[in-house]
Amino acid sequence: MRRPLSFLIPLLALAAAALLPLVSGPYPLAVARSVLTYMALAISWDMLLRSGQISFGIAGFFGLGAYAAALSVLRGGMSPILSILFAGVFAGAVALILGLVILRLRAVYFSITTLALAEIFRVIIQNWSDFTGGPEGLVLPKLIFNGESKSLYWLVLAAVVIACAASTMFEKSRIRLALSAIRNNEQSAAASGIGIFKYLLVAFVVSSFIQGIVGGIQLQGYGFASPDAVFDSNYTLLPLAMALLGGIHGTPGPVIGALLLGIAAEFLKLHIPYGHLVVYGIIIVLVILFMPQGLYGLLRSRRHAVAPVAENRVDAGAWGK
Amino acid sequence: MAVKRSTILWAAVVAAAVVLILLWKPTVLVYGVQRAGLYAAVAIPMALVLGIVHIVNLAHGELMMVAAYLAYFVANRLLGLDPFVAMVPVALVMAAFGWLIYKATIKHALKAPELNQLILTFGLAIAFSQIANLAFTSQSFKLSLSYVSASATIGDVSFGVFDFVYVAVAVLLAVGLRLFLQRTRMGKAALAVGQNPRGAAIVGINVDRTYGIIFSIAVGLMGIVGSLFLTKQAIFPGVGGPYTMKSFCLVAMAGVGNIVGVLYCSLALGLSEAVINGIRGYAGWSNIVFFAIIIATILVRSYRERKR
Repeated sequence: MRRPLSFLIPLLALAAAALLPLVSGPYPLAVARSVLTYMALAISWDMLLRSGQISFGIAGFFGLGAYAAALSVLRGGMSPILSILFAGVFAGAVALILGLVILRLRAVYFSITTLALAEIFRVIIQNWSDFTGGPEGLVLPKLIFNGESKSLYWLVLAAVVIACAASTMFEKSRIRLALSAIRNNEQSAAASGIGIFKYLLVAFVVSSFIQGIVGGIQLQGYGFASPDAVFDSNYTLLPLAMALLGGIHGTPGPVIGALLLGIAAEFLKLHIPYGHLVVYGIIIVLVILFMPQGLYGLLRSRRHAVAPVAENRVDAGAWGK
Repeated sequence: MAVKRSTILWAAVVAAAVVLILLWKPTVLVYGVQRAGLYAAVAIPMALVLGIVHIVNLAHGELMMVAAYLAYFVANRLLGLDPFVAMVPVALVMAAFGWLIYKATIKHALKAPELNQLILTFGLAIAFSQIANLAFTSQSFKLSLSYVSASATIGDVSFGVFDFVYVAVAVLLAVGLRLFLQRTRMGKAALAVGQNPRGAAIVGINVDRTYGIIFSIAVGLMGIVGSLFLTKQAIFPGVGGPYTMKSFCLVAMAGVGNIVGVLYCSLALGLSEAVINGIRGYAGWSNIVFFAIIIATILVRSYRERKR
């Protein structure tokens, strides 16, 4: 019974998301675009989290992607679509080189290093004025699709689809087993012959690639990049809170979390211009204290309690301890 | 022996650097030491918490921000107290606040995976800075006190002397905490809990209470640091964030539990930042030196630990 449904729901959701521009006005569409942007970032963050490594550097690779896209258009003369791909590849390549070194760090040392790296990227771009435009930032001469909002929305949706596809691939393949084995007990994972480092590197590079692409799309959509705008800590904070609220270690959680928090944030922003993000902080604290498995996890455990089918126990493994 | 030799080596390197800086720009040395004092004063309470409660408190800098706002709005605006007087009541209020935070949140995450603790304190950090944003907007506030511009002249070099307050506070905190941990009953109990909570519990130490007290002492000390921070710096909701990161980096460099080591590491970083700042046109790069050194140290440390 559950099998066909589990295929049907994502497909229906995708169809609904794809058709949204045909029925909605410009404002809801802009909100949806920002929700999808954060959704892709939240999914990419979660992909690395499944190995137990917490990155606080989402904004770093996002910003790097935005600048890579801007500079490849302004200085390299690339077409907009190509520049977005380039942004992803560039962020992925930087992650590959850095990952060779920093993925040997564990726990809080890794987290702080990612945070410091994001700061380093920002400082480099801010001070290398000749090439990057410095603190004033860069402005593109024209937007992708001439700024047409429906096409832009579909572009962001495409990034989300890529993120979901990569994330699902991670979940269905051996990588999931390897990553959760590393998370649960690294030593025993290594002892069972799992090439820990290889899998960590793949997860880090793919998640940074997605963050770079999203950064590139964001830049092409707004046509403007400055160090303060693209390395804004919100790009780390919001995806993190969304994934946590929805439920970590799986694709559906970040999707649900991004929908709920993204839409809620829009309403709050209208009513409380300063400090509406306080809600995010409080949600993070409450979720960790009272609902560490997130909304989707809660939903699942409810369902498991009603029908404890043997098949479900395999799924439960994905949720860790 | 090996430890001693490396200590001598380090001392020689630092001494050589100091002499070189003195010959080049003496003021850089002064500002480097002052900067180091501020970094160390902020980082030492975090070292205490990390060494004993084993929690990386990502809301550390934000607690300093909260203390500075308290010192500004309640103590200075409302009661007309100078920050140097205000630091006593602010420290007491902050200590009570720290106790509350411990009881309400951190206590419940102690047994959870490290991920949860990190994200929990990250959430607290956001909540604090955003509440400040909500209440006072992102506008920055600054006191204008006449004594902060006190200066001294040695030979033909003149420099501001007020910031040596931070150096004094940092040294006092380090020495005071060391005495507290080694001489008092409570401190010894805390050290025992930090080394082995289960063992400490077996010999009859109330582990939960010790954690609570240590956390609350650390937050109380942030009350002092925050009040002093207000004397010279402008405060705004995001002012604490960078200090969280820098404090953690210093603590990681010094090694968990090594409070006095934080002083040396701050000195090394303060000086190197001041040197970069002193080179014309490169002031913007000083942050990168900080983070590059930090990343290098963390890496070296982790590789060395792995080899063992």
